[in-house]
Amino acid sequence: MKTGMRFAKLLPALALVLALVFVVLGALPPGQVRGFDVDGFGHIPVLEGGRVKPLDSVARNALLVLRSKQTLRFQDRTIAASEWLLDLMFRPQVADTQPVFSIDDPEVLGLIGLQQTSDRYFNFSTLAPHLLEIEKQARAAGAIDSHEHTRFQNAIANLYQRIALYDGLKNTLQLAESRGLAAELEILSTPEGKQHQDELAQQAQFRPLREANADVWRNAGEALREAARGNVHPALPALARMASAYGSGEPEVFNRSLAEFRSVYAHAGTEAEMVLNRIEPFYKGMILYVLALLLLFVSWLWKRDLLQPIAFGLLIAGAVVHTAGLAFRVILQGRPPVTNLYSSAVFVGWGVVILGIVLEHLYRRGFGTAVSAAIGFCSLLVAQALATEGDTMEMMRAVLDSNFWLATHVVTITIGYSGTFLAGGIAIGYAIRKQVIADPDPATTKSLEAMVYGVVCFALFFSFVGTVLGGIWADQSWGRFWGWDPKENGALLIVLWNAIILHARSSKWVQERGTMAMVIFGNIITSFSWFGVNMLGVGLHSYGFMDKAFWWLSAFIGSQLLLTGVCLLPSRFWKSLGRA
Amino acid sequence: LSKKIAPFVWRGIVSIELGVVAMAVLMVLVFMCTIAQVKMGTYGAVEHFMRHFLVWARLGNFDIPVFPGGALVGLVLTANLVASLFDRLVWNWRKLGLWLVHAGLILLFAGEFVTAAFQDDMRLTIEQGQTVGYLESARDVELAIIDTTDPAFDEVFAIPATMLAEFVTVNLPNTTLSINVRRFFANAQLSDREQSDPPALATMGVGTGVNIVESDVTTSDEEDNHVSALVEPIVAGHSQGVWLVSQAIDAPQSFSHEGHTYHLSMRPRRSYLPYTISLKKFTHGVYPGTDIPKDFSSLVHISNPVRGEERDVLIYMNQPLRYEGKAFYQASFGKGDTLSILQVVANPGWLLPYVSCVLVTLGLLFHFVLALRRRKAKA
Repeated sequence: MKTGMRFAKLLPALALVLALVFVVLGALPPGQVRGFDVDGFGHIPVLEGGRVKPLDSVARNALLVLRSKQTLRFQDRTIAASEWLLDLMFRPQVADTQPVFSIDDPEVLGLIGLQQTSDRYFNFSTLAPHLLEIEKQARAAGAIDSHEHTRFQNAIANLYQRIALYDGLKNTLQLAESRGLAAELEILSTPEGKQHQDELAQQAQFRPLREANADVWRNAGEALREAARGNVHPALPALARMASAYGSGEPEVFNRSLAEFRSVYAHAGTEAEMVLNRIEPFYKGMILYVLALLLLFVSWLWKRDLLQPIAFGLLIAGAVVHTAGLAFRVILQGRPPVTNLYSSAVFVGWGVVILGIVLEHLYRRGFGTAVSAAIGFCSLLVAQALATEGDTMEMMRAVLDSNFWLATHVVTITIGYSGTFLAGGIAIGYAIRKQVIADPDPATTKSLEAMVYGVVCFALFFSFVGTVLGGIWADQSWGRFWGWDPKENGALLIVLWNAIILHARSSKWVQERGTMAMVIFGNIITSFSWFGVNMLGVGLHSYGFMDKAFWWLSAFIGSQLLLTGVCLLPSRFWKSLGRA
Repeated sequence: LSKKIAPFVWRGIVSIELGVVAMAVLMVLVFMCTIAQVKMGTYGAVEHFMRHFLVWARLGNFDIPVFPGGALVGLVLTANLVASLFDRLVWNWRKLGLWLVHAGLILLFAGEFVTAAFQDDMRLTIEQGQTVGYLESARDVELAIIDTTDPAFDEVFAIPATMLAEFVTVNLPNTTLSINVRRFFANAQLSDREQSDPPALATMGVGTGVNIVESDVTTSDEEDNHVSALVEPIVAGHSQGVWLVSQAIDAPQSFSHEGHTYHLSMRPRRSYLPYTISLKKFTHGVYPGTDIPKDFSSLVHISNPVRGEERDVLIYMNQPLRYEGKAFYQASFGKGDTLSILQVVANPGWLLPYVSCVLVTLGLLFHFVLALRRRKAKA
């Protein structure tokens, strides 16, 4: 009996350790594919989008843009991003048969003579006969202001951009229609060679060749031009041999040339990002949060005392992985954690989870775990959807290039978002509990109310300070403290709403139920301020119009209105049903 | 009676409920102002919802007030805050946090009122190697009549567009010249006159070949208004013909009379500085291998004879130059990176938000920490 008790006490720690082992196992480098050192190829540092990154990141980001996933399923095998990129560049005839384009829009499918089926992925060969038509339609759409685009015009313009990315990658190191990079080295000064160099320089999506003495990176076309002038980059011949060896299926030659190529870059400097890529901390975090949540639901019905601590252990494991992912990004980028919409989603979830752990530790009723696991999961899901726009560690545009203000204003305001969502989440828990449980235990209700009050104060503090710091940044960079810009207005709405909740509560204008309903409504305000204003496409803060996101936001707002209603519905309602 | 009403009104003004209602109304205003920016532009939406006491809507031929405006709500909130300081929040240590918060908010509101009333938005457009001694308004327009007779200096007369809009005749001081305003367009589309167009409204200058169509005033952030007017200069009783002056006309227009040569131009309102600024170098950096802007900076030289000051200053992103009550910001650039546009703001209330931020932050911290401690003590 005693050993059983002790074992039960150890279970949460065991769950935590097991979860972390599961995550760390994912960081192990994968084996070779058909004898080729694909992982080594992924390590190659290249310059893309203003940043030096491993080729593996280029491949993953490209696949995310093309098909919203980092891997590919083909002929009953999962193909990793690096392998796909190898095929695309050196065996394009194979890559062209792999389904990498996701197309959902029925009108776009109709344009290329396809019907909507359960499989929404298509290969390049299927699209190839329709390229001219796609280009024509996309150009027609491009002539129209993007605010006025129909769904079809958006979809076709987007497909065209993705085809351009695919085509660009295919022709970055060697032209798909040519005899390959090795052949280029033999026709350097011929007119044909010159023409190829120009095409390559123009198509290049990344620059793999760094000059030894200067911080200058060259793409394949530029390196060939230099070679024609007699300056052959020391790694260029090895790159050419890799290309031929992969195309003709000679793994030993490929691996030898790869090692030679990488020896030129004694400083790889890409290992950390490779580890981050392999761990996929935010994806693993999502899994852990879901497990914690499910376990907690079970615990409310069965073996509460045993399962709740385990759920808490899993939540902590998720938080550890989540934190590690954030820390990795901060170190890699040399920036504070929030630099764009994607990272704000990651950070909001992180803030909620950390706060939730504190609440769970203080109140121990499972609510902190449930709400923070649910919100942590959702925010990482949102982040994953946002990641399909390309590299999530993009360079900061000039006006945003200030670590001081990113670290103060942006981080504070994002913590404010975390606070309002956490309070909203607890209030939702309160509402559902009130309707589902016939006789809610008043002590729990009281602690829920205390939690919500504390978190709303916390949220008000951070959103106010964040908003004013934003004003001060604006004063420093644009010459006005307050410009009624949409993003500023959104932040002000959050501050006002939290202030209204606290004042209405302190004047006894609203009671427990009313406060909770107002707090749920706060979710709507925060989501509007976070995403809604970006969809307006005006103002200095707007980072882009997202129309798929618009429907998700509407759905979210709808659900929150419904929950506000649920919260306001008196529990008498059920009793009256019971009586009838 | 007043003895009965006064406490009642006072209780209303100090009441927490009034504050809550005002905040709720402000939220509605802010929300509408945000949505309206898509159509009206930021400036237009802020003017419409925030800068007036009432929000007006057009119903048929009448403008009717439909909602309290930002200025009114701001005043009510300020009154409520001030009153609460004196009434509700009696001075004691436990209320120090709340006291600080509300005092800070009053300052913040005061800052916004000062900004609305006094802030002047100007621009300094300057090419590399050029020296400029004036600023241009971001919105206001003026008709400049420049006497260029004396090669040593130009004599400039400027008539603000708001005055032109009143169709007055303006006598220029110390001259025999007066300007008779025939027509005024707050915004107009100008095009080369075709055969089918009505006869030209101007009888002299570029305007004789131009067709003018009046158009609605735009407040959009992307479009500009082309302020235009038909004016008739009269020198010592002699009409010089009707001239079209417009922001859409770049070509110089001038007339001569009795040995004086006058240039006419419609231009952003200028205000002259007691010092000059020269652009030594504009730099525009991008991230390697991309065209993502990394930084912009303008190396300028200030020459101030009044203060006897000669010095170089580097103005770049997030690093404005504050000089003689004005702040100069790197705003834009052009002409193949040889032209720099600085935004120049004079706002006497610029420091208020900083003070307010410190007060409110301290106040909230104090209050919440106190609440937390009391809760702990209770438990």
